Amino acid sequence: MLKIHNLHAKVEDKTILKGLSLEIKPGEVHAIMGPNGAGKSTLGYVLSGRDGYEVIDGQVELKGKDLLELETEERAREGLFLAFQYPVEIPGVSNMEFMKESVNAMREARGEEPLSAAEFLKKAKEACKQVHLPLDFLKRGVNEGFSGGEKKRNEIMQMILLEPSLCILDESDSGLDIDALQVVADGVNSQRSPERSFIVVTHYQRLLDYIKPDFVHILADGKIVKSGDASLALEVEKEGYAWLGGKAQEADA
Amino acid sequence: MSQWLEQVVERAEQANLTGPRLQALTALKQQRWPTRKTEAWRYTSVTPIEQLSLSSVQTIRANATDIDGLDSLDLVFIDGVLQQSLAALTLPAGLTIQPLSALSDEEQTAASLFGQIKPAHHIFGLVNDVLAEQGLIIDVAPGADITQPIRIINLSSQGQESHVRMVVRLGEQSRLCVIEQGEGQDPSLHTAFAEYQIGPHAHLEHYRLALHTAKAVQVGGNHFRLLENAELNSTLVAFGSDLSRLDVDIEHAGEHAHAKFNAIYLLGSGETFDLHSCIEHAVPNGTTEENARGIVGDRAKAVFNGRIHIHRHAQKTLAELNNRNLLLSRRGQINTKPELEIYADDVKCAHGATIAEIEEKALYYLLSRGISRSQALIMLNFGFIQELINQIPNGAIATWLQEKLKDKFSQMEVK
Repeated sequence: MLKIHNLHAKVEDKTILKGLSLEIKPGEVHAIMGPNGAGKSTLGYVLSGRDGYEVIDGQVELKGKDLLELETEERAREGLFLAFQYPVEIPGVSNMEFMKESVNAMREARGEEPLSAAEFLKKAKEACKQVHLPLDFLKRGVNEGFSGGEKKRNEIMQMILLEPSLCILDESDSGLDIDALQVVADGVNSQRSPERSFIVVTHYQRLLDYIKPDFVHILADGKIVKSGDASLALEVEKEGYAWLGGKAQEADA
Repeated sequence: MSQWLEQVVERAEQANLTGPRLQALTALKQQRWPTRKTEAWRYTSVTPIEQLSLSSVQTIRANATDIDGLDSLDLVFIDGVLQQSLAALTLPAGLTIQPLSALSDEEQTAASLFGQIKPAHHIFGLVNDVLAEQGLIIDVAPGADITQPIRIINLSSQGQESHVRMVVRLGEQSRLCVIEQGEGQDPSLHTAFAEYQIGPHAHLEHYRLALHTAKAVQVGGNHFRLLENAELNSTLVAFGSDLSRLDVDIEHAGEHAHAKFNAIYLLGSGETFDLHSCIEHAVPNGTTEENARGIVGDRAKAVFNGRIHIHRHAQKTLAELNNRNLLLSRRGQINTKPELEIYADDVKCAHGATIAEIEEKALYYLLSRGISRSQALIMLNFGFIQELINQIPNGAIATWLQEKLKDKFSQMEVK
C-alpha cells in the first residue's frame, strides 16, 4: 500500500523529517507515537502534499505510484485521506456542498458517474448518523462553530463518505472526551477492511485501546526509533517519552 | 464647470423649478465638477459620464430579469418612464403609491419632497433633484403591514438618459419590503435616488440590486432616516460598469433604532463600482451593523468609503463596519477606507477593512479532499459572499441571487 524510504522533509529552513522509513501493507493499522515536535503532523502534511512542506530526500510510493510527483488533489483521488488534527473552518461553504464536491471528484477520478443531489443526501445522512452528528450539521458551514469533538467526528464522516485506501488520522483523539473518543474509534473500526490501511498518529496510548494497531512505531526527532506490536504502546504509556532522549541520540550515532 | 454640467443647468433653468427643486438648482450651480482632487471622487473618474454619446434611438430592451418565486408588485420604468398606470393598480389597504408627476411643485414642497433626507453634498443627487421628471411617492399608513414586496424596476436602453426619484414614508409601526432593481448594459446614463423615512417602530426590508453592467453608467443613492425604534434591513448587490456609483446614507434620527446594511459587489473584467456609505448617529442608543464584501476581477476597480459619524450626544451607540475584499488578479484594484468620527465617549464602535487573497489553509483542506484547484477557488471565493447571501431575509431573493452571483462569478477568472 505505502512505502516510505528515507524521507527527509523541511518546513521553511527547518528540517523536520530526517530519514523516515515505513512500509504498510493493505489492511494493516500502524500507530505512530512520539513526543511533541517529533514530526508526527509533518508526516501527514508531507504525504498529503501541503504547500511549504518540502521533500529534500527519499521516496514515497502509494500503491506502486510515485506519490511525491502528484498534486495534493491527485493524491486524494489516489485514495490518500488525512483526518486533520485541526480541521479548518470555512464559513460560507456548506458541509454538504463541500462533501458532495469531494465525493464526486473521487468518483470522477474512478470513472464513475457523479451522484445526484438526492443520492448524495441519502449517503451523507447515513454517515452523519454513524458519527452521531445531528443532520443540520450538513447544512452548516464547513466546521463553522463546531466544537473540537464535532470537528473530529466530521473528519471521520468524510472518511466514511470518501472510502479512501490509506487513512492517516492525525491526533484524532486530541481534545475528545471518552464518549466522543468511542464514536471516532467506532467510525474508524467500521471502515477497517483487508484493502484499507490506516496510520493512526497519536500522542497517547488511550486511542489504541479502541483502535487496535497491528504495529506501533515511535517517532522521535524526525525518524522512527523503535517499532513493535501493540505492547509497545503500553510500554510508552508506562514510561513516557523521557527515555527517548538517549535512544534518539544513539540512533543518530 | 464642465460642459456636461452646464447643459444640465441649462435644461433645469428652462423647467421653471420652484421650492426645494429650485434650491437644489442653486446648490448645483455652486458645486464643482468632481475631479481626482475631489475627496468623494478621488478614486473614481466621472469621465465616462462626460464621454457618453447619447442619442435618442429607441431600442426597447428585453424585460427585467424575473425573480423566481417572488410574488411582488412590480412597477417598471423604461428609461425613466413608468410603463403602467398607477390608477389601475389594486393596492392593499394602507398602501398609497403616487407618481411624482401627479404632484405640482407646490404639493411637492408641501409634502417635503426632494432633498429632505438626501444630503445636499451629492452632486449627482442634485442633478437628479433638478432633472427627475418621473418617480414614485410611496406611503404606508401607520400600523399597516404590507406583506407583498414592491419591486421598482429601472431599465436603461441604448443612448438613453433617465433620472428617477423615489420617496418612501413608513408610518408608525408599519412594515414594508422594497426592491429597487436597475438593469442595462448599452451606453446610457441612469440616476436613481430614493429617500426613505422609517417611522417609529416601523420596519423596512430593502434591496438595491444595482445590476447595470458594461457601458451603462449609473449613479444613485439610498438615504434612510430612522425614527425611534425603527428598523432597517438593507441589502445592496452591485455589478460594476464603466461607472457605477452609489451613496448610501443612514441617519439615526430617533433613539433605539437599528440599521443593518449588507453590501455585495462582484466586479468582472474592467468594471468599476464605487460605494460611499455614511452612517450618522445623531441620537443616543442606536445600533448599526454594516458589512460590505466584494470580489474584484481582472483590471476591475472597487472603491469603498465607509464613514461612521457619532455625534456628541449619541451615547450608547453600537456601530460596526466591516469591509472585506478578495482580489482575483494582480491587475485588479481596491481602494477601501473606513472613516470613524466619534464625538461621544460612551460608545462601542468597531471597524475593519481587509484585502486578501485566498487563505492557504482553507485551499489545502479542499484540495486534500480531491477537489480540483479551480473548483476549490470558486467555492472559497463564493463562500466569502455566501455568508451575506445567507443573511437575506427573503428566501426567493436569496435563492435567485445565489444563482445570479454564481453565474457572474463563474465568468470571472482567477489570475
